[in-house]
Amino acid sequence: MSDGDGRAASGLTDGLSGWLRGWRPAVSMASRNLRRNRVRTVLAVLGVCIGVLAVAALGIFGNVLALGADDAIGDIGTQVVVSPNNDAGVESLSDADVASIRRAVGEPAVVPLYSDSATVARQGDQTFATVYGVEEPALAYEAAEGRLPERHRQGAILGAGIAEDLEAGAGDTVEIAGSQVRVIAVLVESQTFSPVAPDDAVFLPESAFSADGYAQALVVSDSGAEARAAADAIRESVNARQDRVELFELAALVDEINEFFDLLSTFLLGLGAISLVVAGVSILNVMLMSTVERRQEIGVMRAVGVARRDVLRVLLAEAGLIGAAGAAAGTLLTVLLVVGLVLATPAVDAALVLDPTNGYYLLLALVFGVGVGIVSGAYPAWKAASERPVEALRN
Amino acid sequence: MSGDAGLGAEPADDAAAAAVADEAGADASGGNTAPSDDYGVALRGVDKRYTSGGGEPVVALDDVDFAVRPGEFVAVVGPSGSGKSTLLNVLGLLDDPTAGRRLLDGTDVTNLSVAERTRARKESIGFVFQDFHLLPTLTAVENVAMPTAFDPGDASDRAADLLARFGLGDRLDHEPSELSGGQKQRVAIARALINEPAVLLADEPTGNLDTETGEAILAEFERVKAEGVAVVAVTHDPLVEEYADRVVDLTDGEMTGGLPADGLPADGPPGGETGDDR
Repeated sequence: MSDGDGRAASGLTDGLSGWLRGWRPAVSMASRNLRRNRVRTVLAVLGVCIGVLAVAALGIFGNVLALGADDAIGDIGTQVVVSPNNDAGVESLSDADVASIRRAVGEPAVVPLYSDSATVARQGDQTFATVYGVEEPALAYEAAEGRLPERHRQGAILGAGIAEDLEAGAGDTVEIAGSQVRVIAVLVESQTFSPVAPDDAVFLPESAFSADGYAQALVVSDSGAEARAAADAIRESVNARQDRVELFELAALVDEINEFFDLLSTFLLGLGAISLVVAGVSILNVMLMSTVERRQEIGVMRAVGVARRDVLRVLLAEAGLIGAAGAAAGTLLTVLLVVGLVLATPAVDAALVLDPTNGYYLLLALVFGVGVGIVSGAYPAWKAASERPVEALRN
Repeated sequence: MSGDAGLGAEPADDAAAAAVADEAGADASGGNTAPSDDYGVALRGVDKRYTSGGGEPVVALDDVDFAVRPGEFVAVVGPSGSGKSTLLNVLGLLDDPTAGRRLLDGTDVTNLSVAERTRARKESIGFVFQDFHLLPTLTAVENVAMPTAFDPGDASDRAADLLARFGLGDRLDHEPSELSGGQKQRVAIARALINEPAVLLADEPTGNLDTETGEAILAEFERVKAEGVAVVAVTHDPLVEEYADRVVDLTDGEMTGGLPADGLPADGPPGGETGDDR
């Protein structure tokens, strides 16, 4: 019993080493066969090369687009805007609402805002702007000029856009709804699509407003996940009995944008895969032609005692070598193309292109290239190796 | 894929081959008057019919009895289409007989699987073709070693020795395109001998050679024969008949003189058709 097991095990080892050993002469014969018709081989390799280039380059382009978008919109996914639900008859957020929002979200800062609109003017220039009343502007915004007070008690904070329109800076005076107010700070440009767009807004102390309640509250988190958790917590507690508030959550939007880019990547990869399939068909064609031409040679090999699987190995090695050469060339070309594009277009962030996830697309294309070679070579190889030598040798 | 097949197939082949050998051994020790392993290769009452389309089957070999002793050189002659190539294919395990038995080196090889036939060809049969059929991408020494290229061990030294024996010691690394016809045929003979076969089968071995080169090749056959190999050559060439120990005629699938004059293979049909030509 144990003897039998031992024999079986050693037989398996022998079989495996024999299997590996058989590939060496196969690859050697295959590479010589490929050199016989160089033009045809080079064209087939070129086909795979283009296919691999298409898959790798389109994959990487899609990925860089997605990474770039993620990079650009990543920050705004950390804000949740809470507004009163007018449909439920809630006109504004009360102090109690703000308190319950604070209780619900926990860690993230909650910045309630009054809201109105007014004409803002300076030295003849004038514009119509949203005016927010805020007590703790430093929790939600950053100053490009001047300094944001911890408690906002006096003076105006201008959004980047309105400051540019009025050519106003910190220390200047602007006229807001008829009163002269000193500008204490100008905010950093934000480019956000939030309903609370600070670029074209003016921020005044809460005391400038006489409204009953807050128009909105911002929940400022450190990450998209924290923002989503905060939004969920508000829905569960503040909106538990009645939908008192509406939530505008950019994290969800960011998710959707990411989903879109995933779709785009898949679409681009699919596009590239089509050209790889075309390359596969050209390998199929080359291998069929070459095995038909070499029918007698293959017959001779079989006649003098070369096993069917060894003939199969030689032919598969030929197709595999075409695939591997094309894949290697295509991968190299992709790297050169991407490097060239990065150097030529300063708008592309090199860090995005050097992102390790792009390597995955290179590897994917490389594996696909070799795989396409072997799969396309399988049928011609099987067909040629299975032909009876007596038929193949017949003139 | 092929690896799996290999792992699975090899032991099965061994078992089958062993079974075949046992059976043949039993036959030999049984009621046989003459030992069947006296013959390098033998056919007993072999028929080969081809069915083409819906018409009458073509009879390529009709109840053929044929045997060649080790160290015997037999020439098979006959008009074109008489079944000579079919005979060679059946002898060489490239084609199976429709009926009858086939013996190779004392073993019944009538019904073998594809893998078993391939192995038997490699181990016991050498082929020499009219068109030499060397692989153009391989050097002379690689062509000679080609049947063993996928086996363990390196046969290059053996191949080089064989080529040296045939006077091609200085052509080892030449490709076929750099060799003359006679040299190519010598490479082909060396390839046929790489596994020390029991039988050498030659299809018009001198057909593409001038008389002088043809004679040189036939002289090589004599040397091969002297080493105990059974040599069968299918030919139109009168020169081959001169060198052969025995000439067998095959016309319309019927063979005359298929058996040696001095004996019958065991369990063969009664004699009477032997030794007509000599």
